[in-house]
Amino acid sequence: MLLLSMLAMTSTRMTQLLTAFAVQSLFLTILAFVVADYTGHSELFIMGGITFAVKVIGIPLVLRRTVARLHTGKEVGSSLGIPGCLLMSAMLIIVAYLVTEPLVVTVETVTRNCLAMSMSVILIGLFMMVTHKKAMTGVVGLLMMENGLFLGVMSVSYGMPLVVELGIFFDVLMIVVILGLFALRISKAFDSIDVSVLRRLKE
Amino acid sequence: MMDVEIILLIPLAAALLSAVSPSRVAAALSMVGSAAVLIASLPVCITAFDGAVTAYGIWYVDGLSSLFILITGIVGLMSALYSYGYLKRDEEEGEVGSKDVRQYHVVFNLFVASMLLVFVLKSVGAMWIAIELTTLVSAFLVGFYRRDKALEATWKYLMICSVGITLGLFGITLVYASSSDVMEGASGALDWSVLFEAAESLDPMLIKMAFIFIIIGFGTKMGLVPMHTWLPDAHSQSPTPISAMLSAALLNCALYAILRFQMITEISAPGFASALMIGFGLLSLAVAGAFILISKDIKRMLAYSSIEHMGIIAIGFGIGTPLAVFGALFHIIAHSLTKPLVFFAAGNVIQGYGTQEMNEVRGLRKTMPMTSLMLGAGTLAIVGLPPFSVFIGEITILGGAVDAGMYHVALLTAVFIILVFAGFTRNIFSMMHGEPKGEVKEPKGMLRALPMVMLLLMTVLFGLFMPESVKDVLWSIAEWFTGAI
Repeated sequence: MLLLSMLAMTSTRMTQLLTAFAVQSLFLTILAFVVADYTGHSELFIMGGITFAVKVIGIPLVLRRTVARLHTGKEVGSSLGIPGCLLMSAMLIIVAYLVTEPLVVTVETVTRNCLAMSMSVILIGLFMMVTHKKAMTGVVGLLMMENGLFLGVMSVSYGMPLVVELGIFFDVLMIVVILGLFALRISKAFDSIDVSVLRRLKE
Repeated sequence: MMDVEIILLIPLAAALLSAVSPSRVAAALSMVGSAAVLIASLPVCITAFDGAVTAYGIWYVDGLSSLFILITGIVGLMSALYSYGYLKRDEEEGEVGSKDVRQYHVVFNLFVASMLLVFVLKSVGAMWIAIELTTLVSAFLVGFYRRDKALEATWKYLMICSVGITLGLFGITLVYASSSDVMEGASGALDWSVLFEAAESLDPMLIKMAFIFIIIGFGTKMGLVPMHTWLPDAHSQSPTPISAMLSAALLNCALYAILRFQMITEISAPGFASALMIGFGLLSLAVAGAFILISKDIKRMLAYSSIEHMGIIAIGFGIGTPLAVFGALFHIIAHSLTKPLVFFAAGNVIQGYGTQEMNEVRGLRKTMPMTSLMLGAGTLAIVGLPPFSVFIGEITILGGAVDAGMYHVALLTAVFIILVFAGFTRNIFSMMHGEPKGEVKEPKGMLRALPMVMLLLMTVLFGLFMPESVKDVLWSIAEWFTGAI
């Protein structure tokens, strides 16, 4: 998971980024199945299934379409080079491990390490949103944060109640669709999908 | 037992009907729907105010949620009334088409429904979903004018609030981790009442960590500095009735979520959540005060004023004595009644002069006597002069701070309030005098004036003579809240 986050961070092309996201989601699915098998929480099977359907297939498909309709070129427009991104990611991982250390002691599960990893994935997702200029990479960053979150949910509590999970999935799907919609409107209005043009509103 | 479902079904039905009716009818549906919501929520809320909790199925309504439900109902009704005239004028000027107006009313009703949903859910996980829904639905209202600036505001709004709320969900996850530890995976580990009862046995370390994520996450949506950056953009770019809704109702949703978790955190790790609330509150107050001084755009200034008031409210809850919490609860009501008034008056000015820049508006007293009166009264009310209700809220919170021995908090709050007072009055009252450039026509109409007059009456009424029953209800909520702290 973490490796894929880093891979996504260093991706220079949009398709590569989306693939990284899809594979990361695939890992999340596999993890859900493994944990479900190990602990006997049958709800996690359902959750894994939905993750697969929504995040491995559904969302990347929607995003690919949107990117194709945007005609914005393939580069992701990172403001840091690959080495810089890697360095920052490494630092964020260290921070995540430090922060979660006192917590990890209190949580007794099969996947202790996962909390720190989930935090790392969240932080890297956030970092990606900050450094990358294209609007769609922001969306992927947000989704990766969500992936990290689900990793955390699984590791600390074997998944939330099913209704809540379903609701969250629905919300995630809605965010992607709505953001895609607004990205289209923005590209029409600004002739660009580079979020650095969104600078007009200030005092 | 269908009480809660009815409250939610009315706006949903109104949204559905609006989708298939002409725009004039849709506007009427919004008004009737909002009024019906208010009436339908009364029985549940009165029961809750008497101390009886309505809880069945996935619903849970107590005194605190009832207070927010009623506020949302009132703000919704006022905005629905004002929307009619405002959008009609937009339509006449060719800014939007009648199809847009219909779409506006559909989303408007959905927005009201999603906000009400936040307050009636039992599970905090489901509450999170509802809060995210409010963002998604209202995004269409913020981006209603498809101008580039409005789109920019919408994009920022969606992105910043989604990230914030994701962090909030991480906090909820941590709470759930500790509660399901205690309850050994029993169902209902996310239910608010269960969490509240089990709060003492929750792991304090985990809960502290969770609250940090929750106050950052939901604080983003509530407009606490430094996570507030979406707020002035979204408030200034959306249609004015929506600005009022965002400010007076939407921010309350996130506030409500934070309050619930504050209570749990205070039981588990006393003093921690309160200190954070006061810290964020003071910071918000300071930054908002500074920005109000230099604001040029009237709606941006009002947005910063919302941040300021959310800061004051956070401070009130942070102090945590019954008196301060009473003040904060009262301040929520006062702010939600006064802010729409100022926004509506500002909306008239914006449509009359065709600009949001305060420098370009002069001679308001001559060109728009009625609006000028309302704007003046609203300004005095929102900056906290007596006899308006905001004054009572602020003075009670200050009294609570002094009472609790937090003199530095009281002093800082007072200084910032005075700062805001200076900035606000200077900016607003300079618009009233001078000579107007060119012809200006005051937007008129019963449905424009009515909500303003009603809001003004309510805010004065609450400031001068608060009914005993309201006072009792607020006190009982405050005592219950602080009993937890």
